[in-house]
Amino acid sequence: MERVALERKVLSENERIAAGLRERFARRGILVLNFISSPGSGKTALLEKTLEGFPAGTRVAVLTGDIQTDNDAIRLAKYGFPVRQITTAGACHLDARMVERALEGWDLDQLDLLLIENVGNLVCPTSYDLGEQAKIVVLSVTEGEDKPLKYPGIFHKAALMILNKIDLLPYVPFKIELARECARRVHPDIEILEVSCTSGEGLEAWQAWLDQRRRALR
Amino acid sequence: MHEMGIASSVIEAVRAEAARRPGARVVKIGLRIGELAGIDQASLTFCFEVLVKDTDLEPAVLAIEDATCDELDLAYLELEE
Repeated sequence: MERVALERKVLSENERIAAGLRERFARRGILVLNFISSPGSGKTALLEKTLEGFPAGTRVAVLTGDIQTDNDAIRLAKYGFPVRQITTAGACHLDARMVERALEGWDLDQLDLLLIENVGNLVCPTSYDLGEQAKIVVLSVTEGEDKPLKYPGIFHKAALMILNKIDLLPYVPFKIELARECARRVHPDIEILEVSCTSGEGLEAWQAWLDQRRRALR
Repeated sequence: MHEMGIASSVIEAVRAEAARRPGARVVKIGLRIGELAGIDQASLTFCFEVLVKDTDLEPAVLAIEDATCDELDLAYLELEE
């Protein structure tokens, strides 16, 4: 019997492709954000509001992942910026190779910002690096405040937590302070923004967060 | 939930290593999985067993050690000539 030490990551092939993507993005100063949440937390609505807020000519593009349908790409294409759907045909997450393929034919020199909407799932997308600069986790107030404790992986890795649907706070028992506390227990330095894509509350602060991140890359 | 994909990645990596040692049989695969990796060990083992059934890797067993944070590492292989 012989034991061979390997000491490599199980997802080393994904990491290799992601590192290549990250290098391509960095060379061009493109800010790449990977949005992760449960199904129905409002990732697509947040991206709609984000695109709506950009002046024409903003160098932004979107990749949106779903198991089936191109419904989200159709919703997001209305704003006039390049959008591509990645249909995973069953896979519960995006991986770096899917992103690499989806980018084929796009001139990255024309971009400053790439928004990637992952498949709605708080677990699996967390493991797959897409070459992004930051992961953003979206949690809505119709979910449990303790989601950060139940799904610590993504809250640990995300730079920013966006608490969405705050216009519904008067109608649901969600305690926003408790949600913040749960997130900070898993990730003490996590940034937190509160928004409503319906009322528009908090979207300015979100745009400011994006602008600051984009300026930092120039 | 993505244990099937992880099991495929493990098998791919193991095969790449085993290919460098013709004649050797893989008997054990050592993994280290952190508590934040989001991997259910029983489910991973089940997926692995399904994928290796009726292949040369069928006799191989997964030896999973708990680790910290989001570690998801292929630590070692045990081979028999």
